Amino acid sequence: MTAATLPTTLPPSTHEFAEIIHRLEAGGSMLPDTPDNLKQIIGIYKAYAVPMDFYWRDLLYIAEQVFLNPLPAFKYFISQEYLDRPNAYAGDDADLRIWRGGGDAHPELRAFMEKGESNRKLPKLLHHLWHDRVNMEFAEACMRAMFWHEDINPTFNAYLDSDEYRQNSDRAIRAYFKGNLPMLGLYKLFPDMFHEQVKQMSYYANLGLFWEVMAPVFFEMSDLYDEGKLTSVPEAMDFLVNGIFAIAGRPIYHHVFIRGECYEIIPKSQGFTWLYEAALPYVEAVFYRTEPFRGTKSYNAQAEEVPLDQRDFHYGILYADVFPVGSAGIPPTLLMQDMLHFLPNYLIEDYHKHGRGEDDILIQLGITFQRSMYNVTSAVIQALRTALLYPLDDPNLDHLKANRQFFEQQIDRFKRPEARLRDIQDQGYR
Amino acid sequence: MLSPLIWIPTLGAVLIALLPSKLSPAQVRSVALVISGAVLLWTIGLFTQFDLTTASFQMREFMPWLPMLGLNYDLAIDGLSLMMIALNSLLTWIAIYSSVQNKTRPRFFYALLLLVSGGVAGAFLAQNLLLFFLLFEIVLVPLYFLISIWGGEKREYAATKFLLYTAIAGALIFAGFIGTVWLGGTLDFSYEQAAKAQIPLSAQVILLSILLVGFGIKIPLIPFHTWLPDTYVTASPSVAIMLGGVLAKLGTYGLFRFGLGLFPDAWTLLAPFLAIWGASSVMYGAITAIAQKDIKRMVAYSSIGHMGYVLLGGAAFTQLSLVGAISQMVSHGLILALLFHLVGVVEAKVGTRQLDQLNGLMNPLRGLPLVSALLVLSGMASAGIPGLVGFVTEFLVFQGSYSVYPIPTLLCVVGTGLTAVYFVILINRTCFGRLDNQKAYYDKVAAREQVPAFILTALVVILGLQPNWLVHWSEATSQRLVGLTTTAEVNLHQASTSSAALSSASSASSAALSSADSVS
Repeated sequence: MTAATLPTTLPPSTHEFAEIIHRLEAGGSMLPDTPDNLKQIIGIYKAYAVPMDFYWRDLLYIAEQVFLNPLPAFKYFISQEYLDRPNAYAGDDADLRIWRGGGDAHPELRAFMEKGESNRKLPKLLHHLWHDRVNMEFAEACMRAMFWHEDINPTFNAYLDSDEYRQNSDRAIRAYFKGNLPMLGLYKLFPDMFHEQVKQMSYYANLGLFWEVMAPVFFEMSDLYDEGKLTSVPEAMDFLVNGIFAIAGRPIYHHVFIRGECYEIIPKSQGFTWLYEAALPYVEAVFYRTEPFRGTKSYNAQAEEVPLDQRDFHYGILYADVFPVGSAGIPPTLLMQDMLHFLPNYLIEDYHKHGRGEDDILIQLGITFQRSMYNVTSAVIQALRTALLYPLDDPNLDHLKANRQFFEQQIDRFKRPEARLRDIQDQGYR
Repeated sequence: MLSPLIWIPTLGAVLIALLPSKLSPAQVRSVALVISGAVLLWTIGLFTQFDLTTASFQMREFMPWLPMLGLNYDLAIDGLSLMMIALNSLLTWIAIYSSVQNKTRPRFFYALLLLVSGGVAGAFLAQNLLLFFLLFEIVLVPLYFLISIWGGEKREYAATKFLLYTAIAGALIFAGFIGTVWLGGTLDFSYEQAAKAQIPLSAQVILLSILLVGFGIKIPLIPFHTWLPDTYVTASPSVAIMLGGVLAKLGTYGLFRFGLGLFPDAWTLLAPFLAIWGASSVMYGAITAIAQKDIKRMVAYSSIGHMGYVLLGGAAFTQLSLVGAISQMVSHGLILALLFHLVGVVEAKVGTRQLDQLNGLMNPLRGLPLVSALLVLSGMASAGIPGLVGFVTEFLVFQGSYSVYPIPTLLCVVGTGLTAVYFVILINRTCFGRLDNQKAYYDKVAAREQVPAFILTALVVILGLQPNWLVHWSEATSQRLVGLTTTAEVNLHQASTSSAALSSASSASSAALSSADSVS
């Protein structure tokens, strides 16, 4: 009987979000495990993955082909080669086959690029001018958030400042503007202007390589759900965690192709990896921080609405107010508009049953997207815990305490009133 | 030509009351819409028949009824009545359209609404003082029921208050009429006779004062306005549209037709006082509206303010200011109906009228974007922004009145500034800002619910850009009214009372003459 009095488990947490912390400790997600939540997040993964399939291709196309074009008027018109480019994690020739589908662009994406929302076969340029297209500006905004929040990717940024990187880019710049005397003259006068652009191009490549992984992951999750093999929110999260570990080591690099020749600006041999140089910075930059929406915060310095320290930025999707989506000055609208075209039917039916149905579908899917990103963030938190700390079923009480401390630290970030963690616990938040 | 305006709605009301009770509210509403639509069409026909060149009454219809009492069925129309009839027909249709589809006791509701419309039309057309009074009083009863059955909170209180105030107004008006007829030495209540009567100035002043209070309650002018906020706020949107858009015009119409028309001498004498009264109404309405926390109350007080312009225009009685005042009645009717309709939609969808709870309705997906946009537009129209009808009519009043009563006119200009202030407050709190994520799951506004707003907005904009279409109907009539006051001035000269009122009156009428030239 004495054994019973010894504490064998941790006492309940006293944290404000104790319930969620207990759920994480039991191997769950920040998002409650309900069939409705599962349906929503998987459906939106699918809707997100199709435009993402375009994002990563175009990001790499810009980083590798458009490069320093001073007037990149056609940077969103990706070449056939990039549209057919096999994804490294899908298709028959994949390094590691995550999605069982084909490696080239998704058929739904191709159909959309061809006919668009207007459902008319028109030249690409007309689709573009009529704004019947994928909102690539959103991908670029994510890239710039990663680029601008410098502190979150120290090793990668240190390399961008190194002499080696400068020499690599110098060679590429000279090759790119070969024979173009005005640009070469400008380069002579203001070299930093060009080097800074190259750095930005490296971030294009970085984000493109990150999403090249996420697109097949989301496609596969959608397929598994359709086959009935994903049955709960924690399972969906575990799939993400496993995916993260499987791909953690994929190299992050930046190659530029000038007149058929490849210039290695960040060579693969540099040893940058997907998890540390792309995934974690991405989550921090885009899910947590980004930048204040022009339509919700005043940049007036005297008003002090925007924090002085970038580490205090809290404008990512985990904090975003989705209700104003569709208004002026709310950047996520671009993404919501993109996802709208690729929603699976079961989600469309669902949306028609709630709110204003067709009319506020952008907001409804935005909130769904927020839920699903809480699940993705849960996967990242669990992956970090696996990498840095102890298993959840560790018998050692101190190890469990360390785990709890880690979880509490992570959840502390959602104590801000803007955080939507509390909202997504409620199925009525739509 | 004129009788159908009274009898179509009245017989329509009887028809609706006799409809089988198994009809759904929406079906009853459709019947009411058809009936009021017929009246509206008839009114449009009336416009085509109206002779713009004559200043006197047209389309006379006479039938002896109770000659012993001097009461005859005697109708005719002039520019002033025509505008009021048009407003009445249009707003009746709008009010019926904007009523909620699933009204309880629909047959009673629509029958009452049509009765009000028919009665008001009769009052605007009546050429017999007793007939006017009868119709004026008859309208009270259906209105009392409309407020006390379908109103919001505290509806009994509001309805009773309305009934008491208006009944007293009726009594005063009746006293004024009786006095006029007796002093005129006949027992004939016809308007023609009353206008010919020679009544001593002192008696005229007393009679006019009685009428001023009687109609002042109806308009309403301060300090007789206290029934208005309660009644407007409590009444359902369609009843509020009728009350504010049409019924308030009975007051100003009565003042012009009977006050100015029958007692031009006394009117000339009292005019400076009326101008100050009008200006105070404008200022009072605006300042009180600024203090309100309830959007419907704001709109109600804005109504008090806007009727002040009409009184100012009437007091100045230049042709320009009279045309302005008559047009202002119409423009106020249109704008107020638009505002009440929109506020009604907001209340129905959001469930509150409180400024501190409303927010962010301009949100394109979850708010009421179109309603908000129209609310902004109607607020601007009410505040007198050029390009919209409110500016045209207010400017006409100011232009016509400034030469006569500069100080009250300037006060009224300040009043329009204050009107802009409270409408910006209203729009800012209601339309701008962000939605509350806990509450903002509002029903969407169907396109058909916005039809009245579209029609009224179109009129407000078109008449703002092409004001002639509004103004020229009443030009001849206002010229005739100005003519009355010029003779009044001669009369006053003969009475040779060299008072300050007189000198201002003479400058007023000379200005009236010169501006009459410039208009015609």
